[in-house]
Amino acid sequence: MTRKLASSDRGEGPYVWRFSRLERSLHVMVIVSFFGLVITGTPLLYAHTPWARSMIRLVGGFQAAAVIHRVCAVMTFAYFFIHVGSLAYRISRSTNRVAFFWGPDSMVAQPQDLRDFAQTFKWFFGKAPRPRFDRFSYMDKLDYWGEFWGIAIIGSSGLVLWFPEFFGRFMPGWMFNVATIVHGIEALLATGIIFTIHFFNVNLRPEKFPIDVSMFTGRGTVDYLKAERPREYERLVAEQRLEALIAPPPSRAAYLWSVSLGLVGLTLGVVLIGLILWAIIWHA
Amino acid sequence: MVAGRPFVQNHLRLLRLLRVLGLPLIGLASVAADVATVLGQSGITVSCSKCHADAAFLSRHGPRADALYVTDTLLQDGAHATLRCLDCHPELGDGYPHSPSDPAPCRQCHVPEGAEWEASIHAVEEAAGDAATCLSCHGSPHATYGSDDRRAPTHALNVATTCGQCHSDPRIIGTYFTGPEDAQARSAVGDYHQTVHGSAMSAAGLIISATCNDCHESHRVLPAKASSSSVNRQHIAGTCGACHVGVLEIYESGSAHGSAFQTGLRTPEGLNAPACVDCHSAHQIVRTDEMEWFLGTSVKCGACHAELWETYLDTYHGQVTNLGFGLTAKCSDCHTPHNMRPASDPASSVHPANLVATCSRCHAQVTASYVKYYAHGDPRDRKRFPVLFWPWLFMTTLLVSVWSFFGVHSLLWLNGIRLERRKRGRQSDPRSSTP
Repeated sequence: MTRKLASSDRGEGPYVWRFSRLERSLHVMVIVSFFGLVITGTPLLYAHTPWARSMIRLVGGFQAAAVIHRVCAVMTFAYFFIHVGSLAYRISRSTNRVAFFWGPDSMVAQPQDLRDFAQTFKWFFGKAPRPRFDRFSYMDKLDYWGEFWGIAIIGSSGLVLWFPEFFGRFMPGWMFNVATIVHGIEALLATGIIFTIHFFNVNLRPEKFPIDVSMFTGRGTVDYLKAERPREYERLVAEQRLEALIAPPPSRAAYLWSVSLGLVGLTLGVVLIGLILWAIIWHA
Repeated sequence: MVAGRPFVQNHLRLLRLLRVLGLPLIGLASVAADVATVLGQSGITVSCSKCHADAAFLSRHGPRADALYVTDTLLQDGAHATLRCLDCHPELGDGYPHSPSDPAPCRQCHVPEGAEWEASIHAVEEAAGDAATCLSCHGSPHATYGSDDRRAPTHALNVATTCGQCHSDPRIIGTYFTGPEDAQARSAVGDYHQTVHGSAMSAAGLIISATCNDCHESHRVLPAKASSSSVNRQHIAGTCGACHVGVLEIYESGSAHGSAFQTGLRTPEGLNAPACVDCHSAHQIVRTDEMEWFLGTSVKCGACHAELWETYLDTYHGQVTNLGFGLTAKCSDCHTPHNMRPASDPASSVHPANLVATCSRCHAQVTASYVKYYAHGDPRDRKRFPVLFWPWLFMTTLLVSVWSFFGVHSLLWLNGIRLERRKRGRQSDPRSSTP
């Protein structure tokens, strides 16, 4: 039994595919663009702190930051529409469209999520066994729909602020104030959720610490699947679909790249959230 | 000179006598010679020069040879070239060898300057021997030049150095500029060279720029706390306005600051309305088109307009300014630098009727609807800004509740793991349930 750094690569058994090449590429786009947006945007919200000034100089001044922010915004719109487009394509080609909207392979919230949620809270206090999640846990769905909500709110308010002359033709000027407020607070919410809650749920909780790279390598071991998604594992076995998902182990290079990218991202995210908390607590 | 003076006097009497006696030809010739040699004689009198133009002689006779050395070359194009030795040294005409003695005071001729100096702070410290007297600033009385002469210590390009002889001297500063109100004065000369006035003078060689005496006066130099000082708050606008005519005109013709200053209005904290120096400083004046100014000034406005400053900092304009970049709108970009007026004043740049024009200075395609932007909106103020308050409250509530909820969720997850592991320990199961 090998004990690897990445939780997705620990344990026995062959590897199982978890994410498609497109999904992994889109997630790397999410990571790159999100860091670009946070690094160039957050300093505005904490402009009174020394680190904000250093950070904005590090990226080449506020004009450079403004350009980077817009480039990353375009990247965000791009991955959003690529994802929605790929969903539409897959739905149109699918023989079982219902599975996209209902059931264990759907991102739509279901009664099972409520049951899992209730059981999780019992488990927190030792009053029930750990919930046995299927393919998407309610935390995964929070991340997913949170991103939809966030992109809608941040994207629309961001466009208003990007093209004030255009929007000023049919919006009162105070909408720019509203857009600034909404954009900033929603950005903080996204940053806060991703760099603490998402990081904890997918990487930092004790059983996965310090990192899970299945989103980068696209695969995880069967033991990992059994531990993290037992209900899905049983379903795949029962439906005799597991064999079709067996994957070769990731190449050593792919594994190392994935771990490096993940650890850099995790560290950067934790540092950024630390700076934000520092600004809130000490410079309020 | 012992024989010289009676000779001249006798000679004059003789000439007058000749004229009176009707000997005009002889008289005319004599007058011409007389004007050239005696009455209009510029420079050192011939007989004085016997000793005082002889450097070797002087150096044998005492330590002050340099000061006593006076030649025609020194005097010839100076401001005192038309004076004679005895005009300033009358008592030395009585004999030789003469002992050192005080010359006649300069104010014998320079009457108004003498009176002004008498009233100045420079005269006050005379007893201590540190008083700046005529010669302290004007240099040697023999090689003395008018202030428009490049060689004069009082020429505009030399004034800062001249004043700096004392005002940069650590002993003088340590003796006379020790109070907290003297902080500016302690570094005044050094600071001046960094200012727009100083660099215009020393780097650009622009003699119409201001130097020390333009603001502090030449002779009636008084500290700013003296009510009659040219740099006292009551008079500073007029002093700066002597050169900055256009600005003074705007300041005094109805600007909020100028009007409040004229009516003596004070804030509840007892602060005066701002005069020139409150925003521009005295010895740290910088170019108003440079970043340093952009960033520094808005902060100064905020020192009095605290609430407006805070709400400004919440806008993109303020955030970028606060980050150290001067390219977004700062106070003076919307309110004008000197003609700031309340929004209720139709002449104000921020009067609703003028907002399109004001915002258009930076923004393209500004419309009447566009300028309904709140440049100082406070989302926490429900009464004044309800349209900002509700979105702010909703978003803040969402942020705090979602983040707290899932934060607690994560912490409780740790508790779940802890309980799970403890239970497993009790069952003494050596195998981990997780891979």
